[in-house]
Amino acid sequence: MLRPRVAKRVGKRVLKRILPRRCALVVSAASIALSTWVPLEAHAQECPTGLEVLVERPFADAAGLTAGSTVVMRSTIEGEPCNAVVAGIFEPPPDPASLNTTRPRVLFHLPHLQAMTGRGNEVDYFTVRMRPGTDLAALAADLEPLLPGAQVLPVSEVAERSSTTFRVVSRFHTAIAVITLIAGGVFLGCIMILKVQERRLPIAAARLTGIPRRLLFWWTVAEAAMLSTLGGAAGFGVGVASSAVVNAYYQRYYDTTLVFSQVTGAVVTEALALAVLLGMAAGVFAATRLLTSDPLDEMGR
Amino acid sequence: MLALNSIREFRTRPLRTLLTLAGVAVTTAMLADMLMLGRGITRSFGELLESRGYELRLTPKGTLPFDTEATVPGFATLRDSVESVAGVERVAPVLAASVTVETSDDSGRSVEALALGMDSGDQGLYRLTEGETPRPGEVLTDADVRGSLGVEPGSAVRLRPAGATGAWGRRTTARVSGTGEFVFASRGDLQVVMRLDDLQALSSQEDRVSFAMIRIGEGFEPDSVRAAILARNDRVEIVTLAGISERLDARLSYFRQTALILATVSLVVATLLVGTLTAVSVSERLGLIAALRAVGLSRRRIVGGLAAESVVLCSIGGAIGVALSVVVAGYLESILSDFPGLPVAVRFFVVSADSLVTAFALLLVSGTVAGLIPALNATRLEVASMLHKEAP
Repeated sequence: MLRPRVAKRVGKRVLKRILPRRCALVVSAASIALSTWVPLEAHAQECPTGLEVLVERPFADAAGLTAGSTVVMRSTIEGEPCNAVVAGIFEPPPDPASLNTTRPRVLFHLPHLQAMTGRGNEVDYFTVRMRPGTDLAALAADLEPLLPGAQVLPVSEVAERSSTTFRVVSRFHTAIAVITLIAGGVFLGCIMILKVQERRLPIAAARLTGIPRRLLFWWTVAEAAMLSTLGGAAGFGVGVASSAVVNAYYQRYYDTTLVFSQVTGAVVTEALALAVLLGMAAGVFAATRLLTSDPLDEMGR
Repeated sequence: MLALNSIREFRTRPLRTLLTLAGVAVTTAMLADMLMLGRGITRSFGELLESRGYELRLTPKGTLPFDTEATVPGFATLRDSVESVAGVERVAPVLAASVTVETSDDSGRSVEALALGMDSGDQGLYRLTEGETPRPGEVLTDADVRGSLGVEPGSAVRLRPAGATGAWGRRTTARVSGTGEFVFASRGDLQVVMRLDDLQALSSQEDRVSFAMIRIGEGFEPDSVRAAILARNDRVEIVTLAGISERLDARLSYFRQTALILATVSLVVATLLVGTLTAVSVSERLGLIAALRAVGLSRRRIVGGLAAESVVLCSIGGAIGVALSVVVAGYLESILSDFPGLPVAVRFFVVSADSLVTAFALLLVSGTVAGLIPALNATRLEVASMLHKEAP
């Protein structure tokens, strides 16, 4: 029996345990794991004695439930009403796949739910932890014939199937980043051209006084690189601030502890490297144009 | 005249003009695409729902069609009750269940598919492309099921509830009546349709449905019919098409919000670009502006000339950007078309005149304002001091 206070503390641990995070195999009741519509078999539904549940925190807050509250539950709209005690409140794990879940989640003891729904001795899926060194594929192949109507999947495959949404969103973000990069590159090119046009006379004068063309070239490129580095650093600041705003907004919007935006070292390095490279490219372009003209023409000969 | 002057001015600095046009075009394309994204999903899903000709959906309480495995029990009685409501023209029930479809020969080919049980002749969820709608003992498949099993209209297939094997569970043999396109199918979904009572029997769900579509007679409002049905049946949910679109919109709010942020950033970048270019262009021509004012040209005319440059830049760049946005939208759509759980027919980017016109107008207004500011500043300066400062 779960004592309310204990249950509140163990809620997270229980959730971690039921998720197949540390398990190697998932055995599902049908071939499309977790998403198939398997009809209920007609077994007698009954209210289990001592029915207790854990309720997720956002729903408990909205419904004003606390540990010790009593709720009425039915397995279906026409099912028998069963009184249940809220044994505890759990914080839902930060799972992106459940962000758009509109129905509140409630955890039961397995036999209680089986009795309430009339699905005695029946589960949708179960997970198997392997001993170190076990051949996953061989075991899956051995297990499947023993479980008619079930499919044995490695956890990696379940993760792969359930992460399609995030792969699509990630590809979309990459495409948007490429477009942004093009727009940023064009903007930078424009600014460099303007700067170079402003400096035509001093550069022409410098060339006429004998300063080598190569020095002037690298000077222009270095200036562009510095400009883009400074811009990149400012962008990093904006990025960190935006990331904080995005996290604060979406965590509140979805009432979750999920981290939506992470500024990692790899992302910062990549962004800064791209900014500097783009700046140098714009600098090379501008310097080449500037140094191919005749300085005497520039001076208005 | 002002526009011609502007074009002449741009031709003196072709590279700068080309780069600015490219920048304005890319940012306009992004702006237009984000406007399309913000409005596209709701619009295309709404159009898809409306195309089926049913204004209301009856579902188990708290769910949407195809949302959960929950079913409505005692449908025969419920149907009588709904059909007796004034304004209800037709009720089309649907039961959905996962089934295994296999060939009746010894080839051993089988697929897992979502079976829809519907009234005879009802095509509310699919379009018949070949053969006939299923009669008792018949099943209509989509092209993928047909291809995977290698069956043709007239072939026999065996069906059983998904997960049932060997002697367990019910099973039936059905004749393939034809092929259809399932309008609400997601990418990769395999679907078949059979008679409602056939599927109810196969899946042991007698007198149950997953949801029902309700057609309303002419002159009746969906909301009032909905209220009348709910007044008699409080154990079901009745959703209007607008309600379904709203809920989908809420679930995909991430894309709408991303679109809003990116659209705003695009507009700011375009404005900065045009503003910077006009500011530099004006500062290069301060001497000329002073001279024109000294010979009696009005401030309004000079500001008009400078602002015309921004307008021309935004018009040309914006027009290119609008065309570019259609291409980019196609590319982004191809990425998001793999988004799971959405009907293939639903599009994220719907190319529409109002999105394109709004993007163009927003750019034109913000670009013109960005160009006006440096122009007004330049003409406010003292003519004599400007002439002195700019003298060679």
